[in-house]
Amino acid sequence: MNEETTQEGEGGPVLLWITALALLAAMVAIFIYVPTEKTEGPVQRIMYFHIPSAWVSFLAFFVVFLSSILFLWKKEREWDIYAQASAEVGVLFCTLVLITGPIWARPIWGAWWVWDARLTLTLVLWLIYIAYLMLRAQTDAGSMRARYAAVLGIAGFLDIPLIHFSVLWWRAFHPLPKVITTEGLGKGMDPAMLATLFISLGAFTFLYFLMMGQRVRQEKIRDDIDRLKKDVLDSD
Amino acid sequence: MRQYLTQVAAIVWKDLATELKTRELFSAMFVFSVLVILIFIFSINLSIVKATEVGPGVLWVAFLFAGTLGLNRSFMLEKENGCLQGLILTPADRTTIYFGKFISNLTFLLIMEAFILPLFMVFFNVDILPHLGPLLVVILLGTVGFCALGTLLSSLASNLKTREVMLPILLYPLMVPVIIGSVRMTGQVLEGVALSSMMNWVGLTLCFDVIFIGVSIMTIDHILEE
Repeated sequence: MNEETTQEGEGGPVLLWITALALLAAMVAIFIYVPTEKTEGPVQRIMYFHIPSAWVSFLAFFVVFLSSILFLWKKEREWDIYAQASAEVGVLFCTLVLITGPIWARPIWGAWWVWDARLTLTLVLWLIYIAYLMLRAQTDAGSMRARYAAVLGIAGFLDIPLIHFSVLWWRAFHPLPKVITTEGLGKGMDPAMLATLFISLGAFTFLYFLMMGQRVRQEKIRDDIDRLKKDVLDSD
Repeated sequence: MRQYLTQVAAIVWKDLATELKTRELFSAMFVFSVLVILIFIFSINLSIVKATEVGPGVLWVAFLFAGTLGLNRSFMLEKENGCLQGLILTPADRTTIYFGKFISNLTFLLIMEAFILPLFMVFFNVDILPHLGPLLVVILLGTVGFCALGTLLSSLASNLKTREVMLPILLYPLMVPVIIGSVRMTGQVLEGVALSSMMNWVGLTLCFDVIFIGVSIMTIDHILEE
């Protein structure tokens, strides 16, 4: 996965066009193609943004976890950059989940927020990775920052299943998963809706890789600039 | 193995001896947690809500806050006069430092909890004596989890610029499973429910303890590396 992002980071324009087209297709599907839900009305369309954002943030945090392990193992700056970029993109999408959720919940549940298992899990995840980014901001660039962040990246991700079960036993009201049900894949949903959801999922995943690639490239350029600055200072 | 245990014991003994001499940490933790309980009693009306419903939450918040004081102090002491450097330079495995600190943090917190429990019984009018056995198991499980993760993160936070602020920010979101589990279990135990009917929570907390002791063993080398 990470090797792909390197290539995509360098071959930017191709991925940019794919992402743009996929997002355009998703917009068309969400606002024109897909039928309006019978009981919930137009507000239900926010789901096509909500679920893909949740998926991308989870994917991003998983990449942070993998990159953190690989960093501690190989000690290569590369993996540290991946972890940081992925955490930033993940927090962004996690924030989108936390914003789109209440907009939907207000007319449907009649409350902006309820202390449901999934909502709580998302909020706790958001807090963990905000703390992760704060930790990075607190320490100067270098091996210490990378090592500390990696330890937190690993501990944070391993905690997710435990948080999941604890909030689940605590309480649950969230709509149950409709795509992956016990009856089989996609049985609980209208085919047009399912198609739109998958287009949107795909588009958001491309968007994740695009943003990752950009962020990684930016961080590598920053490293280069720092190195050049040092060379100039040393030669004086 | 015996040598390893001696090394861990030496670090624990060092911390306990310092504490016995100064008594700074214990008094601070104890007074602070009494204050936390007091503030909560002001903010809730005990004549309306049931003591066994809000009490466990208040109790664990007090443990958590006081424990954070202790954790902050634990590695701060080592930073003074470069003690941590000295510990790292000793020919012992780095995990001995972790286990030494973990055990001394755990000891301080457990002693403090032993002093807080009678006060809790008096303030909230909850009779804990009939449920003392299961209650102690629940408290031990939760406190071990708190100290396992807390010692790892405080070793990390002690090198940051704003260490006192960062430790709770890093620690509390990760502590969520133990907080929910411990509060739930304490509440049920005080209602007279047997531990065997809440094995899911016991298992979850135990998993947390094991996972984070494991993570600490594997990653402490990367934190205590100068």
